Amino acid sequence: MSGRVIVITSGKGGVGKTTTNANIGTALARAGKKVVMIDTDLGLRNLDLLLGLENRIVYTIVDVVEERCKLKQALVKDKRNPNLCLLAAAQTRDKTAVSEEQLKEICDKLKEKFDFVLVDCPAGIEQGFQNAVAGATEAIVVTTPEMSAVRDADRIIGLLEAKEEIKSYKLLLNRYRANMAASKDMMSKEDVVEILSAKLIGIIPEDTGIITSTNKGEPVVNDENSPAGRAYRNVAERIMGNDVPFIDFEEEAKVSTKIKKFFSKFLNKGKEN
Amino acid sequence: MSENIFTELYNKILGLFGQSAQKEDSKDVAVNRLRVVLMQDRTNLTPELLQRMRKELIDLLSKYVEMDKEALELNFEQEGEQMALMLSIPVVRAKDEEEIEAAIKAEEEAKKLTETDDEDDSEDDLDFENADDDDSEDEDLDVEDDDSDEPDEDEPSEDINSEQEEKEEEEEE
Repeated sequence: MSGRVIVITSGKGGVGKTTTNANIGTALARAGKKVVMIDTDLGLRNLDLLLGLENRIVYTIVDVVEERCKLKQALVKDKRNPNLCLLAAAQTRDKTAVSEEQLKEICDKLKEKFDFVLVDCPAGIEQGFQNAVAGATEAIVVTTPEMSAVRDADRIIGLLEAKEEIKSYKLLLNRYRANMAASKDMMSKEDVVEILSAKLIGIIPEDTGIITSTNKGEPVVNDENSPAGRAYRNVAERIMGNDVPFIDFEEEAKVSTKIKKFFSKFLNKGKEN
Repeated sequence: MSENIFTELYNKILGLFGQSAQKEDSKDVAVNRLRVVLMQDRTNLTPELLQRMRKELIDLLSKYVEMDKEALELNFEQEGEQMALMLSIPVVRAKDEEEIEAAIKAEEEAKKLTETDDEDDSEDDLDFENADDDDSEDEDLDVEDDDSDEPDEDEPSEDINSEQEEKEEEEEE
């Protein structure tokens, strides 16, 4: 068996790489795929927190590289889903503790046992990025409809295109506020796609459920009623090759805000008179 | 008061049909700023170099058409793996054949001057505007020909200079 190694990257920090990783991983595992997630953000690990696995980590990727344990021993099984594993980053070490070659070797070993190897990339375009990308053949570039995030995504796309090993990359538009896009107070998905000329793999709406689910250490895809959870499940379907139509949050928002505005104006007028 | 209600209603209806009001949307500002900044990021062209490229393009194209230089738009667009340079210029007026020929001729002569330093037999007025010889040569010239009555800074070569002087002398005679 040879699984797919997908790196999840963004350039800019804080756009939702780790959240995306946790949710796509969980969604793929829920669909019955064997998934392992690698946190390569040495010194600033967080993927364990989002999955609620922070108390179960015994060995990290640095222990594997420095041969204090076997690769298998360092894999932490998810609480709910036995298909899902985490290889955690070391919190006490810096980016130099693992090299590109070592990461590539780990990815190569893992893809023999798993359907998907998801690599969580640190922010920035320095060595940490180079390491994370080393073993991957596909990439998901996470961005938000903000100028700085789009600019950094463009930079990352440029770097990915220069890498022969990366066969394809897709764009994931995170924290999308359809109502602001509809009122032209924020860039729309069309704007972002046109500027970056990249293919979309999904649009995740801004959702307060992300915050509460992170608090509990439980990915939002497990919440059937969350809009972001639904969008992440669709992304997982598309990764598996299923053609799922995009949810038109914008149209939904357009209609609902128009109706709301109309009625509020109407009501205010009534109060004035 | 009633007028207000009507204009509001009018805007509402426009809004319903997707026609936005005249104000510039903040997202359009963002998109335009991003385009400019990405153009610089992708090409490693500084604003100064872009300005220079713009000017050179205007000089080149002005030979053939008269255009609105202020409204010239220059954009890099990414289409998949291909990057395209998109140039958009509103044409004010098509130049007639004579104008174009004159412009081409003028340029060819200027080019000839810079390429061939020695054999130059043209008797037309020499256009030195486009000649871009080294400054050092000019300095040498200035030192050597102190009595030269032509203070031309863009003089391309000594030979041409002396030749021209000879011709002028001949004409005077």
